[in-house]
Amino acid sequence: MKTILASQTMDVPDGVKIKVKAKMIEVEGPRGKLIRNFKHLNLDFQLIEGGKKLKVEAWFGSRKTMAAIRTAISHVQNLITGVTKGYRYKMRFVYAHFPINASITNGNKSIEIRNFLGEKKVRKVDMLDGVCIVRSEKVKDELILDGNDVELVSRSAALINQKCHVKNKDIRKFLDGIYVSERGTMAEEE
Amino acid sequence: MPFKRYVEIGRVALVNYGKDYGKLVVIVDLIDQNRALVDAPDMVRGQMNFKRLSLTDIKIDIPRIPKKKSLVAAMEAADVKNKWENSSWGRKLIVQKRRASLNDFDRFKVMLAKIKRGGAIRQELAQLRKQAAAA
Repeated sequence: MKTILASQTMDVPDGVKIKVKAKMIEVEGPRGKLIRNFKHLNLDFQLIEGGKKLKVEAWFGSRKTMAAIRTAISHVQNLITGVTKGYRYKMRFVYAHFPINASITNGNKSIEIRNFLGEKKVRKVDMLDGVCIVRSEKVKDELILDGNDVELVSRSAALINQKCHVKNKDIRKFLDGIYVSERGTMAEEE
Repeated sequence: MPFKRYVEIGRVALVNYGKDYGKLVVIVDLIDQNRALVDAPDMVRGQMNFKRLSLTDIKIDIPRIPKKKSLVAAMEAADVKNKWENSSWGRKLIVQKRRASLNDFDRFKVMLAKIKRGGAIRQELAQLRKQAAAA
């Protein structure tokens, strides 16, 4: 059945400017600017109260389009925290016998992984746009990925993880790899 | 960007299909998701699908399903007829109707008038060009 109107509103915190035009949401804040395209959704986005609130409406929506209202709002909230606090994903090396040798190259933009499980193959992973990778000084065998866009940061972390999968072995026993240990924001550290 | 003309009791709409094509009607009640009860001073109150209606900017203040007398009184009070005829949409429709009802002699007169107007515009343009060239 079609529900005539379903809508949800979210607050925009101070210090963040949101621009809405033709289902392209542009969020600007202290850490930079992020743009997200919602043209695949059948929703109306509008800023009310002079930019203090964002209202998302679905007219004559099915169950699925009504579900999309809250996910769109969650995506915008992620954009806002990305632009105010930034995202920091931490990954740990896990190895039993062969120490994973990682070197950050290309100005914090890519990582080379050697000696994974003793293999001669060198794995190179380029970070996506706007994502920086750094080897943690204080903690042994840790990588820190920083960025504004949570989609790009988490995807870079996934790329590193997937490059270090174990093949042709019992993965319950060979637990080596680089795993995401913490998903958080950059702001708390300061 | 959001919607400004809402389907509500008292919204004036234009019929864009069917027997009452071109008439201004008032929505007096909603039957279900697709149909409305619709009324106008010169027709019997009846149901109409929303797809046959084009909403206008005009809205009048009426209770649900008013009697014909009070509907007419409310339309007079809100001056729907004049508001419509002065709006750009209403004026365009009046011009379209006039053009469709011209006979051959009228069309001949329109042709002469257009030629005369074109001539006047060209003269004025020539004057302006001369001034711009001199300056």
